[in-house]
Amino acid sequence: MSREIQDATLWGMDIVPQLLVNAIITGSIYALVAVGFSLTYGVLKILNFAHGHLMMTGAYLFYFFTVESALSVPTAALATCAATLVIALLTLLIFVNPFDRYSPMLPLVTTLALATILESCVSMIFGVNVKALDSGSSAESIQFGSVFITPLQVVIAVTALMMLVLIAFLMHSTSFGRRVRAMSERLAAAQALAINSPAMKGLVFTLGTVLSVYAGIMIGYETNLQPTMGHGYTMKALAAMILGGLGNLWGTILGCYTLGVLENFAVGLDFGAYSLPAGYKDAFAYFIILVVLLIRPEGLLSFRRRVA
Amino acid sequence: MEYIIHLAILVGIYLILAQSFNLTIGLGRMFNLAHVASYALGAYVTALASTELEMGFGRCLISSALVSGLFAILLGGIALRLAGDYFAIGTLAFASIVSALLINWKSVTKGVLGIPGIPRPEIGGVALYDNLQFGYVVGVLVIVSLTVLYFVFSSPFGRVLRGQAEDQLAMMALGRDVRLINTLGFFIASAFAGVAGALFAYYINYIDPSSFSFSEMVFLVTIVVVGSPGSFWGCVVATFFLVLLPEPLRFVDLPSSILGPMRQLLHSIVLLSVVWFNRAKLFPAQREV
Repeated sequence: MSREIQDATLWGMDIVPQLLVNAIITGSIYALVAVGFSLTYGVLKILNFAHGHLMMTGAYLFYFFTVESALSVPTAALATCAATLVIALLTLLIFVNPFDRYSPMLPLVTTLALATILESCVSMIFGVNVKALDSGSSAESIQFGSVFITPLQVVIAVTALMMLVLIAFLMHSTSFGRRVRAMSERLAAAQALAINSPAMKGLVFTLGTVLSVYAGIMIGYETNLQPTMGHGYTMKALAAMILGGLGNLWGTILGCYTLGVLENFAVGLDFGAYSLPAGYKDAFAYFIILVVLLIRPEGLLSFRRRVA
Repeated sequence: MEYIIHLAILVGIYLILAQSFNLTIGLGRMFNLAHVASYALGAYVTALASTELEMGFGRCLISSALVSGLFAILLGGIALRLAGDYFAIGTLAFASIVSALLINWKSVTKGVLGIPGIPRPEIGGVALYDNLQFGYVVGVLVIVSLTVLYFVFSSPFGRVLRGQAEDQLAMMALGRDVRLINTLGFFIASAFAGVAGALFAYYINYIDPSSFSFSEMVFLVTIVVVGSPGSFWGCVVATFFLVLLPEPLRFVDLPSSILGPMRQLLHSIVLLSVVWFNRAKLFPAQREV
């Protein structure tokens, strides 16, 4: 009996580097998804419940261009990018802009409608079954000591970091970023200073959607695509945003990596009889939302009090 | 004839479910995204109680209502401290936890396989395997539930619920305990959702987590929005309209893999167009002083 327990703990310690690597990869994907969500909340002041569904639609478009139309990857990426731009602008024009000045509850309802419209369209066109993007040899794992990692996962982690650096540059060293930050800090004051808000909204929203579609494509390579996957990622982005504070960009990004660590360690570590089954990985994120909302609704990283 | 009875039972279940949802989201303007979770809890409690514990009809209904109601008190205790977007996120998190439990707590809920073989209720020693007889029982329960809900809507309690939606501060200034009243509203709405869930489980005989998905919640939002939030009779008419709307699709020769998404698409387009045309009147913002 004691022998078994010892083995379990040994195995438990050994797995830590691997869990850490997994956590970074999960966190990178969440960060790519959540950046757009957070920027949208900051500038447009709406919770876009269709964010994950937009990501899913973009990833399916990429699947359509690479697998079904057999385009080369760069061409397909360009085509997906163009299509995503169109979809994001249409979303703004049809589902967001006509409503947000009437009541803050209306965009919640319309983005819910958008979410089911996208989900049902994709399942009608591509079917409800799982689709996989073929990543070829880059899915074969390489061993470093006790850690296994695939070239694809390295690409995910590195490109996510590059995107975040790019976003940091954009937000803190350009006039575009200054405007975005001004708008998310106080919209009325920003408008009084003639910061062009409709065009800014469009730019921010399309930027965020394109980033999340990139994440969706990476998810397609790493695991697979399904029409129902969107809602789960919206919830993950929400959890990260709640951790870091709604509309707080860097808090959200930190929240993403924290969520990655928490999820992987909660499920991966062996707590003997108290181990969590792997299926509860997602429930863990929802639980975090509730706990943070209960004890510190303004977010763990936010120093401003929430104005409710 | 069998088909018409089927539709009538479906409409009946949705009448209870949508009208109770209307109480929180319409009358109280609390954007509660966990109503389907209450419905699911009701269905699962009845499914488990009638198969594992072999409890009777009345006891199953009451325990479904109580469990869903208690869930609402827990939900209200956490979510009602929050406002606006935070409230929606909190309730959504609750709903997601419930659906994750339904999928993963395999020793109780049997996971995605669902619970089969739920027996039809027995009344006076006769099991209601005939849909027409079961339909009468559903009909009686729908009338009772809607009557109770109608009185709730038009009672002083309902007026306070409507009042706090328009101006929470004014209601507090009038000495009403807004938090308590909202929690009570949650409890009533959720208990009726539990009853609807119990009827659903009895009727379908088999439940699995896919019946209580995200799109089901969007469907409920659609019913309430189409029927004008907070309007009792509007919600009744909208339930008939929206439950029956996709039925003609059944007679077009479509594969079932297309039929489900098509129904969803139809509902969301109706939702979007209704919101589009009524955007100035739906959910008016709280009055500024």
